Amino acid sequence: METIITYNAVHHNPWGTPITIYFWLVGASAGSFVLSAFGWVFGIKRYKPLALTASILAIVMLMIVPVLLIWDLGKPFRFIYLMLPGYWHGTAPMSWGTLLILSYPLSMFVYTYFVIKNNQKWAKITGIIAIVLALSTHWYTGVVMELNPGRYLNHTPLAPLLFLTGAFISGIGLMILVLWIQNQFTRPEKRIKWELMEEMAQYMMYGIVFDFFLLFLDFMQTQYGTASEYLAHGTVLMEIFFTPYIWLEIVIGLLIPLILLVTPLKRTRIGVYGAAFLVAVGVYGMRVWWVMGGQYIQSFY
Amino acid sequence: MTTESKQKSPAHALREYGSQTPGTKGIPGKRRYSMVIDLRKCIGCMSCVVACKAEYGVPLGVWRTWVMVADKGRYPDSRRIFMPRLCNHCDYPICVRNCPTQATFKHEEGFVLQRYNRCIGCRTCVIACPYNARHFLPAKRTNNNLPVLVVDKCTFCIHRVKKGLVPACVQACVGGARIFGDVNDPKSEVARLVAREKLTVLKPELGTSPSVYYIGGDWEIMDEPHNYKHRTAQQKEEFNTYKRNHHGDAFGDIVEGENTMYHVGKNMSDFLASIPHKFFDVVAALKKLLFA
Ligand code: SF4
Ligand code: SF4
Repeated sequence: METIITYNAVHHNPWGTPITIYFWLVGASAGSFVLSAFGWVFGIKRYKPLALTASILAIVMLMIVPVLLIWDLGKPFRFIYLMLPGYWHGTAPMSWGTLLILSYPLSMFVYTYFVIKNNQKWAKITGIIAIVLALSTHWYTGVVMELNPGRYLNHTPLAPLLFLTGAFISGIGLMILVLWIQNQFTRPEKRIKWELMEEMAQYMMYGIVFDFFLLFLDFMQTQYGTASEYLAHGTVLMEIFFTPYIWLEIVIGLLIPLILLVTPLKRTRIGVYGAAFLVAVGVYGMRVWWVMGGQYIQSFY
Repeated sequence: MTTESKQKSPAHALREYGSQTPGTKGIPGKRRYSMVIDLRKCIGCMSCVVACKAEYGVPLGVWRTWVMVADKGRYPDSRRIFMPRLCNHCDYPICVRNCPTQATFKHEEGFVLQRYNRCIGCRTCVIACPYNARHFLPAKRTNNNLPVLVVDKCTFCIHRVKKGLVPACVQACVGGARIFGDVNDPKSEVARLVAREKLTVLKPELGTSPSVYYIGGDWEIMDEPHNYKHRTAQQKEEFNTYKRNHHGDAFGDIVEGENTMYHVGKNMSDFLASIPHKFFDVVAALKKLLFA
């Protein structure tokens, strides 16, 4: 006997576009910061010239985040409660996130100061702290929705990895574009070398392959998972969120850049800059299906 | 298995964290308010919904309690079934452990409550609740003294229960389908029903240990994927209309069958448009603080 639902109350999806943009920005910020740390923390000297641009880009992107997050609150001026003792709640992922979002930019400021001062020792020490915080901040954006067992699409331990990989590739993509613009306005001897751009694009390619692997794991999980997981993939992602999932993330953000970066095009400017642009844009698709898709089925329950 | 041993299982004890009192089901000497809903008696009159709306002035479009309706079978061999819904006042509530400001908490007698003065309106608890039991209050209310732009939910009518009354929905229930009481008191009707009847709860696999029990629950109306897949066309249209008209307090609504990225963009413009009224809300609060 088939049961048809003839009436049910309707529910909004509480988190939306501002949160997707925030996730994208934090990711790109963490990704570009990793590049900045290549030279000063990991000692790869040829990356030193781009360290300052990378950390400034990371800081600028992170400056937009509070505007989005605070005005997304129902009571924006109560954001201070997130930090007050007596209010702070240790079991809530958002509480951990608040500490991270506060400390990550601070550590970046300190690190950038030592980079400007050309102080290798302190730049390395503060860089290590900042890189841990950068990765943790982005790890947190994955877990803040993951730790809700009722949101089947989000409730996967792959979440932080998906986010961090997306962050890595979108950060590099954005960095390549920014360096290209910077090169247009600097003297030839100060320009970032083309070989370095090519090398960064190769890192991006490895990230894309790993991202594909993660998406495949997620796909397997949903296909062999519970009815809700199966529905989350089969109906929500493949029908409602087809554009951000298939077109934006997989085709524009991963597949075309991968083709560009494994063929001889990877040696051309169009190949590298094109792939960088497409990855940076495409990763936003993942943020959309992750946030809004995760809430979609339950709004009908 | 007796009710007591069922509810003292070690799996439950592991989940006590966050600003919540420990689970109190089956603990002697503690009260644990619960509700049993006998679906065989529910006639779908929606009196409970109206009583709840009247008791709290619940705004249009959001609910503390509502009644789901489903049609089972095909004509002439068909039947209409109902299932009231409300906050389950979970013994291990996800909403409580995920709230970053301790605005929502569990009372030691089992009520999961909301402190409006602490709530920042981040809606984390709405995301956390697997039962859609929470809603975000709109910026404008007919009564200016009622809270705005914070999250609200069913309170099991604690203000009535503390005076020896039953919740408004229970009082108003025409069919006598809603039964309320202390499940730890063996003499109470709920305790007897819980011990005697075959009961179901919603999404038991999530480990929330709900305190709203159903007698005669139908698995299809209770199942979330089934709900999604078996809606009437009219229901789909109603959802779409609702999501199209969200009036700037939810920015994640996508309308089925329309361009997703268009709605992503529209949500952003709604978000930007919502900033001024939040700003004025802050100015009004400051004025009250300084000059009242
Ligand atoms: S039903 Fe939802 S709102 Fe109510 S206590 Fe459980 S998790 Fe919290
Ligand atoms: S909306 Fe309010 S009650 Fe809900 S998690 Fe945020 S602060 Fe807590």
